[in-house]
Amino acid sequence: MDIRNFFGGKPSQSSSDAPAKPAAKKEDSSATRKRRSRKVVDDSDDDEDVAPVKAPATKAKPKSQPKPEEAKEEATTSSEYFASSKKKARPAKTIEKAQPDKANTVAESPKPKKTAEEPATKGRNTTRGSTKQATKIVEDENLGADDIFATEYGKAGKGEDAYVAGDDSDEDDGFEMLEVRPAAAAAKRIQKKQSSRNDDDDVVMEDLPKIPASKARTGRKRKSEALIDEDEDSDHQELKKETKKAAPKAKAATSPAAKKQKATPKNAKKEDKPESKELQDIFDSIPTIEAPEPPQGEPKKFKFGAQQSRDPAVSGTKEMPVGQENCLAGLSFVFTGVLESLGREEGAQLVKKYGGKVVGAPSSKTSYVVLGGDAGPKKLETIAKHKIKTINEDGLFELIRRLPANGGDGKAAEKYAEKLKADEAKVRAMAAEIDAEEKKREAEKRKTAAISQGPKTTANASQTPPSSQVISSSDLWTTKYAPTSTSMICGNKTAVEKVQTWLRNWHANAQADFKKGGKDGSGIYRAVIIHGPPGIGKTTAAHLVAKLEGYDIVETNASDTRSKKLVESSTLGVLDTTSLQGYFAGQGKQVESGKKKLVLIMDEVDGMSAGDRGGVGAVAAIVKKSKIPIILICNERKLPKMKPFDFITYDVPFRRPTAEQIRARLSTICFREGLKIPPPVLDGLIEGTHADIRQVINMLSTARLDQKGLNYEEGKQMSKSWEKHLILKPWDIVGKILSAQMFSPSSTSTLNDKVELYFNDHEFSYLMLQENYLRTKPALAGKYQGKEQRLKSLELMDNAASSISDGDLVDRMIHGTQQQWSLMPTHAIFSFVRPASFQYGNMSERPAFTSWLGNNSKHGKLSRYVKELQGHMRLRTTGNRDEIRQQYMPLLQEKVVRRMMDEGKDCVDSVIDLMDSYYLTREDFDSMVELGVGPMDESKVKLETQTKATFTRLYNSRSHPMPFMKASNVIAPKGKKEMPDIEDAIEASDGEEVVEDVKNEDEEVLDLKKDKYVSLPKKKKAPAKSKKTKKADDDDEEEEKPKKARKSRAKAKA
Amino acid sequence: MALLVDKLRPRTLDALSYHPELSDRLRSLARSGDFPHLLVYGPSGAGKKTRVIATLKELYGPGVEKIKIDARVFQTTSNRKLEFNIVSSVYHLEITPADVGTYDRVVVQELLKEVAQTQQVDLGAKQRFKVVVINEADHLTRDAQAALRRTMEKYSPNLRLILLANSTSNIIAPIRSRTLLVRVAAPTESDICSALHLAGKKEGWTESEVLNKRIAKESGRNLRRALLMFESIYAQNEKVTDKTLIPPPDWEALVTLTADEILAERSPARLLHVRARLYDLLTHCIPPTTILKTLTFKLVARVDDALKSDVIKWSAFYEHRIKLGSKVIFHLEAFVAKFMRIYESYLMGMDF
Repeated sequence: MDIRNFFGGKPSQSSSDAPAKPAAKKEDSSATRKRRSRKVVDDSDDDEDVAPVKAPATKAKPKSQPKPEEAKEEATTSSEYFASSKKKARPAKTIEKAQPDKANTVAESPKPKKTAEEPATKGRNTTRGSTKQATKIVEDENLGADDIFATEYGKAGKGEDAYVAGDDSDEDDGFEMLEVRPAAAAAKRIQKKQSSRNDDDDVVMEDLPKIPASKARTGRKRKSEALIDEDEDSDHQELKKETKKAAPKAKAATSPAAKKQKATPKNAKKEDKPESKELQDIFDSIPTIEAPEPPQGEPKKFKFGAQQSRDPAVSGTKEMPVGQENCLAGLSFVFTGVLESLGREEGAQLVKKYGGKVVGAPSSKTSYVVLGGDAGPKKLETIAKHKIKTINEDGLFELIRRLPANGGDGKAAEKYAEKLKADEAKVRAMAAEIDAEEKKREAEKRKTAAISQGPKTTANASQTPPSSQVISSSDLWTTKYAPTSTSMICGNKTAVEKVQTWLRNWHANAQADFKKGGKDGSGIYRAVIIHGPPGIGKTTAAHLVAKLEGYDIVETNASDTRSKKLVESSTLGVLDTTSLQGYFAGQGKQVESGKKKLVLIMDEVDGMSAGDRGGVGAVAAIVKKSKIPIILICNERKLPKMKPFDFITYDVPFRRPTAEQIRARLSTICFREGLKIPPPVLDGLIEGTHADIRQVINMLSTARLDQKGLNYEEGKQMSKSWEKHLILKPWDIVGKILSAQMFSPSSTSTLNDKVELYFNDHEFSYLMLQENYLRTKPALAGKYQGKEQRLKSLELMDNAASSISDGDLVDRMIHGTQQQWSLMPTHAIFSFVRPASFQYGNMSERPAFTSWLGNNSKHGKLSRYVKELQGHMRLRTTGNRDEIRQQYMPLLQEKVVRRMMDEGKDCVDSVIDLMDSYYLTREDFDSMVELGVGPMDESKVKLETQTKATFTRLYNSRSHPMPFMKASNVIAPKGKKEMPDIEDAIEASDGEEVVEDVKNEDEEVLDLKKDKYVSLPKKKKAPAKSKKTKKADDDDEEEEKPKKARKSRAKAKA
Repeated sequence: MALLVDKLRPRTLDALSYHPELSDRLRSLARSGDFPHLLVYGPSGAGKKTRVIATLKELYGPGVEKIKIDARVFQTTSNRKLEFNIVSSVYHLEITPADVGTYDRVVVQELLKEVAQTQQVDLGAKQRFKVVVINEADHLTRDAQAALRRTMEKYSPNLRLILLANSTSNIIAPIRSRTLLVRVAAPTESDICSALHLAGKKEGWTESEVLNKRIAKESGRNLRRALLMFESIYAQNEKVTDKTLIPPPDWEALVTLTADEILAERSPARLLHVRARLYDLLTHCIPPTTILKTLTFKLVARVDDALKSDVIKWSAFYEHRIKLGSKVIFHLEAFVAKFMRIYESYLMGMDF
């Protein structure tokens, strides 16, 4: 096709057909080269013919075809596979190792080249310490998913390139951080390189990987080199200048590669490489970017909430690529930093959808790092270390758009296919195992059936349990495929082993009276507690372990009532007994005298609820003195009610198994059941259920009912519909709704989804949003600059605020007198979704908890104060509460608080006088201080301790007028008839005598006692009160008490 | 040694210094023997309550001045206990049903019936009926007002109501039709000045005519406020001149500060800051309407004429919403956001 074919991709079948040709042609003019290469393609295979068109042809190819040619191809592929796998395992040595392999299949030509290269690199190593380079080459080769030599050759250059770049940034920080190499330039450079290879070796090498420019560029390449040469030169010079510092290094490093270059084409041709050049093209044409240098020096302080801000700046501005199915197969990706338009989640989804793997942290096995801005320093370090190819989001899209289905015949894809095959083989083996087991059981069943029928003894149902025990097709899959050996348990191997060891050693430990801890310290426990999320096989494991260790099982679970009494009585019979099952074996079974061990499995311990009062305590008590091993199982170990088990049980946490651990088992099941589910879909299901094995199996079982297979979308949908609904915390809610993904055009969440978020906690969500909507960096304002941005952000802010205001009106209709609860969705939209739709964007900090609640309760408290104040001042003033607060307060503060601040203790007397004239109490003074705002804010009021002390002392020592009394009677809305309040008036009319009344009337005494003001020191009243309280007992509550107005001083007014 | 405003409060109709014709009418009403239900309305600080008390004194004699406070506890249908203060003399009761918020209906029903069903026992009393003064009648809920309607007619031999309100707009029409509306207008500035002069003379303070005028103006024709300011100035300054600064109340100082902050910077971060200020004001029992009104006038005074009408419009818009909604901070914040936006776009001369 074009030059790239020579350097980059070789036609997959060409290896055997036209080994040396292209090599010779390489130095030819471009035109001939092109023709040649095409010829080669033609020669190679029918499939290859379509190569330029890429996708459809290649799609078919990798799938095993029964053609002999294919077989050949397969062979080489596997050899390559092994070679590469070896390399992968040990990057440093691999080159040597791989070589023999290659040498076998190919002519010797590669060897000298390689060896030549090696010393060279070594030389470098000594001088430059560039060991990295060597590894990089190998790595790239592996990752490149292409013909080994071709890639090596091509990628070596690339690796170097990256290396240079890395070096460069090492020395020159901040140099061209994210430069995307223009493909066109790269392509040009190649040609230049060819003409001037000798004098400019390093450059050539460096640029080589860039050769495969996008197809559009090919036309250009066809131009004669001579023409472009000068261009190239200058172009190249520029580049050189940029990388000046690194240049020497690059030169040194690349020279061997340059040597290699000569040989490579030949090798490539000779080598039986199944690679399609267009695949290589694609891989090479993906614009890579340079990873920025990880920040040196002090590690950046971890910024809290930084994770949440990993939202794309301008999300949804790009079109989502549509690619061939499974096209990223075998490739692994790492996402780091903030991508331009993809959210992390979306990116991961995208990659997974196309069969790729998303890994959390980059390693040498990572194919690509998708780099965004502000990447983590740690990751950058790893990238630099392993020389991983870094692409940006466009690169990823490009990959998806262009890669053929199933990863084409790329190396990674091949490997992937191999792996699939291996997996499949394993699956088959496992399936066979299960089959065998089933058959065995079947046979057993038949046998027992025969026995029970033969001698027609009591054909007791209970004695022929097989029917129920043996797995039949009607069983749930979860039963049917329950593990029968520890190896079949998915994940938690060590945990299971722990339990097993503990159980095995239990009787030995019992003999030692649980004094010896043993190797793992489990020897001192009589019981073990297994805890972990649902559906990961805790119960299964417990049963299996007990079975394997030869214990008979007594099980209680949430279906039994487990109150204290019942637990005690029911377990009593179990705890110090041995199993008799061994003695009375069923028909046809051997009597096993050794089988007399019992284990008590208490499932769902944390499920002991209100009905099981004291159950947990009882179980804990039993655990302390049990004579048989007890296995407790629960989901949440940390609940307070599980506290009794602390220190007396051996904690064995079960974790969710990883997808890998489950996948094999699930594929076995699928295989046996004739379900065709590709691994990515399976992974999707596993992920969707949070590795709940039980649920996945149930889902598969459901899917089996009407389908033969599942695709990614279906799987996704299914796991979504089976999603366990978990209620989000208010913080998560607001974080989610304000995240940029939520509203990006690429977002899949519908309006309903957003409303659904509100309903996660409808009382808090909108308050939290109101608290936090101003803390975002609105994505919608992101595309403006300077003033415009400011105005835009104000506009968004205003829109959001007025929408929240609208929402509040709806809220009033819901919670007000109208109680229109059907308006809840409307409220959700106005107060929650709509404001977020304006303000979504990166949150600069962690979402704050709503301050409305705190302020509301503070408001409540302070308005009580005002009410109290007004109540006290009422006899003197005519103002209502607001007037008291707004008009009296400032002056009173001035005359009371400020005065005490300024004048100190001297003024205390007169201050108290003023307060008394308004019937203000000591508490009112504090309220007054607290009620100040602005200049009179509480924090600004600083009374000298001496002044305060004097004030308190003086206030307490004086007697104060009391404006009113508190009634002790409650007026119920209806029912009891009360005596009219008129008595009040009569009594109060002769207010002067009231004081005497208090002394005379028994009934009034209770009033006094209940009056909170009575406790205040009163010269006159104190003795009266103490005298009267004695008689208080005989008081009749029902009767209304006349209230007393004690206005010793109040009278002054009249 | 109470504050001036209370110390110098006129106790009789004769002592009232302004609105003489109103005083005359009240006097003749009190003497007529057929005292109607009254709805006394007027702005805060106009002297409504003072006038009512003076009228009561005219009705019953000095007995009405012997007042006390009862704290009664009412139980709602939902078994919530409400504490409720009643100021009473032998002849009258004074209640503020708005104290118990939405439960005011319970209070109105129970208490008024109780009072109305009992006849005056004191044979020496000048009038057969008792008077119930209802403060803040405009804050009564609809339910409570409806509960009043029938009571007013049915028990009129034993009971007269005097409703006090700032405006009649919140009083339902049936009540308005059953009462005699008495409007107590705010005192004119010269009225206030003469009142201040009188107070100053009584206290023996050297006063400044100009300052008095300034106070009268500043007080917004609110005599109570004027007197309190007057006293506050004399409390803070040894010597008072024409130029003496009138200290703003604490909350007003904070509102002014907030307005300055809004004008200084318009951004979401600033709005967050302003929100904290607004919360501060609200929690300290400054009513949202007051905040909004004060803030608006502070802002309006400092923006260009072209913007003024807009600012007022939005202020009114959100003031209405404060009444309609339940969480006032949302509306206050929305107003500030709106202001920031229109102010910014005006400054930049562009519109989005």
